[in-house]
Amino acid sequence: MHGDIMIWQVLLLTLYSMYQIWDDLTIVSSLSQPVWAGLIAGAIMGDVTKGLIIGGSLQLTVLGVGTFGGSSKIDANSGTILATAFSISAGMNASTAVAAIGVPVASLMIETDILGRFTNTFFQHRIDRLIDEENYSAIERNYLYGVFPWMLSRGIPVFLALQFGGNFVSVAVKVLDTHLQWLSNGLAAAGALLPAVGFAILLRYLPVKKHIAYLILGFTLTALFSTLYTNVQTLGTTMAAVSKGFAGSFNSVSMVAIALIGLAFAINEYKKNVEKQQFTELASAYKNSTPENIEKNEEGEIYGDED
Amino acid sequence: MAMKTNYKITKKDFNQINRRNLFFNQLGWNYEKMQGSGYLFIMLPQLRKLYGDHTPELKKAMKTHNQFFNTNPSVNTIIQGIDLAIESKEGIESLETVSGLKTGLMGPLAAIGDSIFASLLPAILGAIAANMAVQGNPFGLLIWLVANFIIMYIRWIQLPLAYREGTTLVTKMQGRLNALTDAATLLGVYVVGALVATLISIQVPFVAHIGKVTVTLQNEIDMILPKLVPGLLVGLIYWLLGRKKMTSTKAIFIVIIVAIVCSALGILGKG
Repeated sequence: MHGDIMIWQVLLLTLYSMYQIWDDLTIVSSLSQPVWAGLIAGAIMGDVTKGLIIGGSLQLTVLGVGTFGGSSKIDANSGTILATAFSISAGMNASTAVAAIGVPVASLMIETDILGRFTNTFFQHRIDRLIDEENYSAIERNYLYGVFPWMLSRGIPVFLALQFGGNFVSVAVKVLDTHLQWLSNGLAAAGALLPAVGFAILLRYLPVKKHIAYLILGFTLTALFSTLYTNVQTLGTTMAAVSKGFAGSFNSVSMVAIALIGLAFAINEYKKNVEKQQFTELASAYKNSTPENIEKNEEGEIYGDED
Repeated sequence: MAMKTNYKITKKDFNQINRRNLFFNQLGWNYEKMQGSGYLFIMLPQLRKLYGDHTPELKKAMKTHNQFFNTNPSVNTIIQGIDLAIESKEGIESLETVSGLKTGLMGPLAAIGDSIFASLLPAILGAIAANMAVQGNPFGLLIWLVANFIIMYIRWIQLPLAYREGTTLVTKMQGRLNALTDAATLLGVYVVGALVATLISIQVPFVAHIGKVTVTLQNEIDMILPKLVPGLLVGLIYWLLGRKKMTSTKAIFIVIIVAIVCSALGILGKG
């Protein structure tokens, strides 16, 4: 059973990889994000939970990575598709699949992204020419043809990898599990550590120095609470195993609650900023308007005297 | 010679532009003119109505709008709205103004749009979704989807708004958005702090035997501060990313290699 990906699975995954880039460029519904890739690939492969774990890990890894000014970004979506598919078909551990398949694929796909963007220049040149020929429908047609380089830049590599990479991956998994246990453990550790890169990239884009107090607050509060909750959970489970009369449900720390505390601070900051802004606007308006008002008043007086 | 147009922009025109923008923007993206042909494609039906088919005016307008253009795809129709307001009023004479306006606005709008729609929102929504997903819960994905449909609605209504308000919209927006961005970045920084403390399951498996005493290093670290190791590692990678010639992709590979080496040496392990 292991090592096999059915042809219908290959086709569905390829179709999704082609759809996601169109979504990412146009409507931006979030379906092109790695977490969704994990869910969808997981559903196609028959293990949604594993897909979610892989998609979630890769999502965290690229948390701060965006496309700015037309630069190519690491393609974590395709990375997730392949990591999920092979991890499920070859029985590879989720963290290992993230580091061993997800990341290398995601960075290799930067090249096909560049190729796709480059190929589109061909249609741009045709449009330049068609404007002179005043062929309106052809202009629109050639613009829309741009969808093919985009979709194929994802579809072709994903299809080829899924169709022909299966055997290679299952052999690799066998070797990793038997002779290269240390490497397998290392890859799992790397997979667990990768979200740290995502957080660090994100912090690079955020004004950390300005809001450093809130970084410390968010970290410390959560570190304490999560440790507390985990310990209580462990305690509860142990107690329940020992004593039959002991009942109670123990959840892990609520991230929504933690986020709400942050939201309170953010609302305060917003109010403070708006007030400050209104004050400066008022001050500058007062400064600008005062001389005019005086002039108007003087004029008014003069007219009043004349009457 | 100046030929003013008689065509009045209707709600149907807004809908057509919005449809073209929402479903086909950026499909023609290329290294030469980036979203240039996309701008033309989105505006073409209206340009044809304004100037008439096979007129020298239309050809000139098409050439103007086929020039280099690139901005954030969530806010680009603000420029199209302002452009449409001017061109439908002033006609072919205004093309030079419109050209300047496009290049003048695409930079600032890209800055606003990218920071909100391309980094902050995806980071916060992505963090929530991923946080739930790694525990096997798909609910966070749904939140993200709903949020992005709200953004699509905003993209839909901003076109007629920009058409009516013109350039004042951009200046009006800037003040409020600055306040909002500042508050959102505060929340962003806070949430990243919280995520560092929960989502990096890495620990130090090293156990030292000093005589008869066994020292579990992770336990000692937890006594100082729980989650200290993930915190320090993020700090280290943050510093790494600040180095010259460092890219995020390079940093990811460095982290993978270092993690494998440290794991083999028994310093780091999956928690």
